[in-house]
Amino acid sequence: MFNKIKGNFNTQTWVLIPIAIAINIAVGQIVVLLKLPVYLDSIGTVLVAVLCGPWAGALTGALTNIIWGLAIDPNALPWWPVAFFIGYMAGRMAQWGFFKSWWKVAVTGFVVALTAAVVSTPIAVYIYGGITASGSSFITAYLLQTGQGIWQAVFSTGFLVEPVDKITTAMIAFAIILGLPKRTVGGYPKPEQVEVEGGSKNELYIALGVVVLLILIAAFVLRGILGG
Amino acid sequence: MPERLSFHIKRDSALHHLNPLTKLLLVLTLILTAFLAPFYWTPHILAVLFIPLLSILGKVGREYFSTAIRLILPAATFLFAMQAFFQPVGEEIIFEFYFLDITRESFLFAFSNAMRIVVMVSAFTIFLLTTHPSELMSDLTRRGLPGQFAYVIISTLQILPQMQAKAQTIISAQRSRGLETEGGFFKRAGALVPLIGPLVFGSLVEVEERAIAIEARGFTSKHVKTSLHEIPDTSTDKLLRWFLTALILASIGLRIWLS
Amino acid sequence: MAFVNFQNVTYKYPLTKTPVLKNINLQVNEGEFIAVMGPNGAGKSTLCYALAGFVPHFFKGEISGEIEVDGKKSSESTLDEWVLNVGLAFQNPFNQISGAKYTVFEEIAFGLENIGVPRNEMKDRVDEAMALTGIRDLADRSPYSLSGGQQQRVALTSILVMRPRLLVLDEPTSQMDPIGTREVFGVVRKMAEEGMTVVMVEHKVEWIAHFADRVIALNEGQVLMEGKPNEVLTADLLPEKGFGISRYTSVARQAQQQGLWKQKQLPVTLFEAAEGFTSKGGGGSN
Repeated sequence: MFNKIKGNFNTQTWVLIPIAIAINIAVGQIVVLLKLPVYLDSIGTVLVAVLCGPWAGALTGALTNIIWGLAIDPNALPWWPVAFFIGYMAGRMAQWGFFKSWWKVAVTGFVVALTAAVVSTPIAVYIYGGITASGSSFITAYLLQTGQGIWQAVFSTGFLVEPVDKITTAMIAFAIILGLPKRTVGGYPKPEQVEVEGGSKNELYIALGVVVLLILIAAFVLRGILGG
Repeated sequence: MPERLSFHIKRDSALHHLNPLTKLLLVLTLILTAFLAPFYWTPHILAVLFIPLLSILGKVGREYFSTAIRLILPAATFLFAMQAFFQPVGEEIIFEFYFLDITRESFLFAFSNAMRIVVMVSAFTIFLLTTHPSELMSDLTRRGLPGQFAYVIISTLQILPQMQAKAQTIISAQRSRGLETEGGFFKRAGALVPLIGPLVFGSLVEVEERAIAIEARGFTSKHVKTSLHEIPDTSTDKLLRWFLTALILASIGLRIWLS
Repeated sequence: MAFVNFQNVTYKYPLTKTPVLKNINLQVNEGEFIAVMGPNGAGKSTLCYALAGFVPHFFKGEISGEIEVDGKKSSESTLDEWVLNVGLAFQNPFNQISGAKYTVFEEIAFGLENIGVPRNEMKDRVDEAMALTGIRDLADRSPYSLSGGQQQRVALTSILVMRPRLLVLDEPTSQMDPIGTREVFGVVRKMAEEGMTVVMVEHKVEWIAHFADRVIALNEGQVLMEGKPNEVLTADLLPEKGFGISRYTSVARQAQQQGLWKQKQLPVTLFEAAEGFTSKGGGGSN
């Protein structure tokens, strides 16, 4: 098992991780500048996860939040387990072949979003009492006012907010990999996980269709949770 | 040129002379005590009394207070407000603002919660102010942290400001070519690609050469690594660590016993 | 036994169809200074990687033939052992900064820390290497605050401190301004004078003519020509194949065709050209 973890890491992995962390933070900051309602602070994490493996991705995510929290904005610190699991799940999905075409990437994004919502809920509840320092707390507050239990409210907020962010993140990461020269990709431990099947325009439309489908499913499930 | 991301300020203080691991343990003790100690006013006392004293002991008082006022206090206040208004606890309303209200219970809850966060962030801030990253990493490596981790952390700290500077350059360059970063949602969303693209691709192609460069300098050597600098670990350090560990155990113990 | 021996080396990068090195046979003797020239895509960088062990150990791919340096076979070694013997520096000085260290002194010591050199010895060796390359005054600077030429000298020092037996340089001055170029050439020349075996890929033909013992011309993955600088650099074959040659050579060649260059040997440098044009007819120019 330890060898499997080690298999994620070659020298290029170690050099990539700091760059991926910096990409996470820099893009996260650009998004704030553009005042877009997303985080997009895991693109680097997903890149590492897909090219190197789930453990490398997990490490990248965790370190991003720790360094961001210690050096720039303390509110990022407690969320490191979320970033850890984002990297881990993205890596696992890639291992199962879900990073080879647009629609598969969309599905990966959705699964990662779910994971993020699940892992972030206990953190939000235990450390912040449910109301965090992010804008999505207003949604939680509203849900609480409507009589929702704290756990339901927090999870529903996550479930609403995460899919758009993580599916976009996954697709941007895929677009980046598509644009990289083969030689660059080949130097990482798991280049076979991004051997693209397709990548054509039609694929992109199929993927967008899948995304819409997923969002509809999510909305349906959410209505179930909220109604109950 | 901001070539390194490091809060560290070189001073000659008791805290500066302590071993990095000791300081880490101190931070952990402060945080755990603030979160676990059963006495209600613990986080408040730590935040308002103990931590400022610590910053003075580390001769970084001024820097700490400026960070506290600029970053920590606003964040804590926001958190306090959110918690106080929206935590659905308690009945006795003590403050009303249109449709928002604060109950006595939610006020107390929010107050201690905010203080805990202040303790956590402040403890780390003082740690960072009095500890140089390469010192910390050298010490941890000596104690068994794999060299690759130390490499990743320091490398990230140095690359971050460069990446941010690069992002600034790209934003300016694209703006001067007519890219709009304000306005309607789709305009702003569309600006993402021309900004992220150059930033990411430029950085990713460096990876192969840098990997070769560090391999050429023995990065994957199987020898036991040595360290250029010697980080002192005195008996005061060791004693302090025992004391702090005892404090942590006491906090946990008290918590379990009293609950 | 030659210090460096390539026997029928053919190499193909992974996922590619054409070999980049085709049946390379070359020898380098200890203490020699070899210059490697060639047009883009000739395989010069791959040759450097092969000397330094990165081909095939880092890049994988398919290799046949034997690479031997200092009596050791590449096929029987691992990369971490090989780099102790062969040092590699390349074009982009920025990418050669490890990123792991805050000062130049520590940056240079990085390699020694990795291979487990004891602390006292480390300090002495870094001091020695910095004196050799003339960068003592940069010791406390951050590597990122330096100019390109300074960074490249730091990169060279970081390699030299590991005491390699063979130094491989892949166009170390291509990205330098004239000052940086002069600084880097200065260091390389000093190493060569001290007896270091050097293989350098370089385009600056006049410089090669001054300092190289031999020149190897690479084209399309094969050794096109090799020999003394004055023979290779003035050969007619070179411009035919798209090599860059010294302007003095091309001027003299044209002069020769018009009967205005009377020497047997074409010049490479300004000095040779001046001598050749001003001396009284007949005989070789050197």
